[in-house]
Amino acid sequence: MEKHADKVIAKIVITLISVYLVAPIIATIMYSFAKSWVNTILPDGWTLEWYLQLVTNSDFLSALVRSIILGIVTTIIAMCCFLPVVFYANVYDESIKARLRFITVLPFTIPGIVLVTGLVRVYANLPIPQMLVLLLAISLLSLPVTYQALDNAFIAHDFRAMFEQALILGDSPLKAFVKVVIPNIRVGMFIAMLLTFTSAFGEYVLTNIILGGNYETLKIYMYRLMQSNGQASSVLTTVYFFFLAIISIIMIAIMKRQGNKKVEEVGDTKKL
Amino acid sequence: MATRLKIFLPFGLLILSVLIVPVSVMLISSLQNMDGGFSFSNYHQIFFSRYYRGAIYNSISISLITSLISLVISIIGAWALTKLSLSTKNILITVFNMSSSFAGVPLAFSLIILFGNAGVFKAITSTLHVHDALNIYSVTGMTFAYTFFEIPLGIMFFFPVLDSLNREWFEVSDVLGASKMFFISKVIFPIILPNIVEIFVLLFANAMGTYETVYALMGNNLVSIPTVIGSLINGELVANVPLACAFATLFTVIMTIIVWLGNRVTNIKGRRIS
Repeated sequence: MEKHADKVIAKIVITLISVYLVAPIIATIMYSFAKSWVNTILPDGWTLEWYLQLVTNSDFLSALVRSIILGIVTTIIAMCCFLPVVFYANVYDESIKARLRFITVLPFTIPGIVLVTGLVRVYANLPIPQMLVLLLAISLLSLPVTYQALDNAFIAHDFRAMFEQALILGDSPLKAFVKVVIPNIRVGMFIAMLLTFTSAFGEYVLTNIILGGNYETLKIYMYRLMQSNGQASSVLTTVYFFFLAIISIIMIAIMKRQGNKKVEEVGDTKKL
Repeated sequence: MATRLKIFLPFGLLILSVLIVPVSVMLISSLQNMDGGFSFSNYHQIFFSRYYRGAIYNSISISLITSLISLVISIIGAWALTKLSLSTKNILITVFNMSSSFAGVPLAFSLIILFGNAGVFKAITSTLHVHDALNIYSVTGMTFAYTFFEIPLGIMFFFPVLDSLNREWFEVSDVLGASKMFFISKVIFPIILPNIVEIFVLLFANAMGTYETVYALMGNNLVSIPTVIGSLINGELVANVPLACAFATLFTVIMTIIVWLGNRVTNIKGRRIS
């Protein structure tokens, strides 16, 4: 009896919290389809006009392309820097992991706005492309997420044996890594890449301060639109939200499939 | 040795160039005056100016209140989440995950639609002829705004903790005649107390470092540590990078101490239990 009551309370609590958290998102989506929505409880009417306006706007397309470029290059840098280290830490020297623990609290002790202060101080007046500084800095900021996701990829297999057998069979370390290790961590790697891409794609603080208005990414464009055209901005926010939603759904689907597979594998070994 | 070097080289270079060097330079230049000489003038300025003290006060009070509220709500939310079926759990975790990454410019914008001067909430209160007490463009408004990403973050931190608690404990204490309140206060609470401390620290630190949401909502009109740093770098007041460095150093030192203390509490408690 008490258990049942618990469940009902739990459902009510979760519903209330979800409604509260989702309300801003719903409001934005409604606003993007609204003809006009000023000082009324519900919009005056519905239209797709703002969507057409945004999609045909060249500023939007170039901002989108810039954000995608930022996301892709950051993901490549992050993978090149972190993958070898996570591999080595998992396969050869677990003690490194304890030393890498500082990474997990990095975004809390040194958030973007603090890091950018140091970066501006050091690099603003140096003759190096500020774009490079930005790309490296965003890679660093994505580190906690990337690290965690990559670390999870190395659970389950005996990579040391695999890797060393490939070496004995005459592969160079790099070749062995690409041929033997990467195929076995490809799912985890893909998730890490998606997460890194998303964090770079939605980056605002560093891009805005280091490059200013010179490189208008989606978020900076969103901020500019917000000041001038609310409706267009809500369309952009909605598009951005659906982008996040699609990525989360892909990730959940992959993780679910992986989870099922792992359960099956464990089941099989138990039978043996 | 050579392979080890190759493995750590890109990572090391990255950490060195965009973390260690900038943070060290930041520490050093926080102790320099405008001419480059050694002085405490930046810190002096921070602590003796009413404006900058106000920034510190605002940051701490907003973060403290918002993280306390979010902590309580997220414990309750995470508990409720553990009671639901697996598929509902998965959907909700995705929802919370998304609403926490909605923080920043998108959140600021949607809060303006809901609670701005021409927003939905204003329309509702004026039709009902109720006095609208909430002004989103204020310290209270900010405290409220932060809960939209602090609560989902808190739930995602708490959920694994509560989900791993052993369900048999409740049955055991129930059989032994303990009331539910007794079980929660004497069994569950002491076990999760270190996690509560740890998660509170993370929520607090996260709120302290929030720049994007505040800046998008209020520009530099709300004086907090991150917005002051931002305007000191951008030169919207007067560009003064050494002073920004002092602020940033202060921030890092305080946060490192708090996070370290939080970890210590967790470790001591953790050891005592095991």
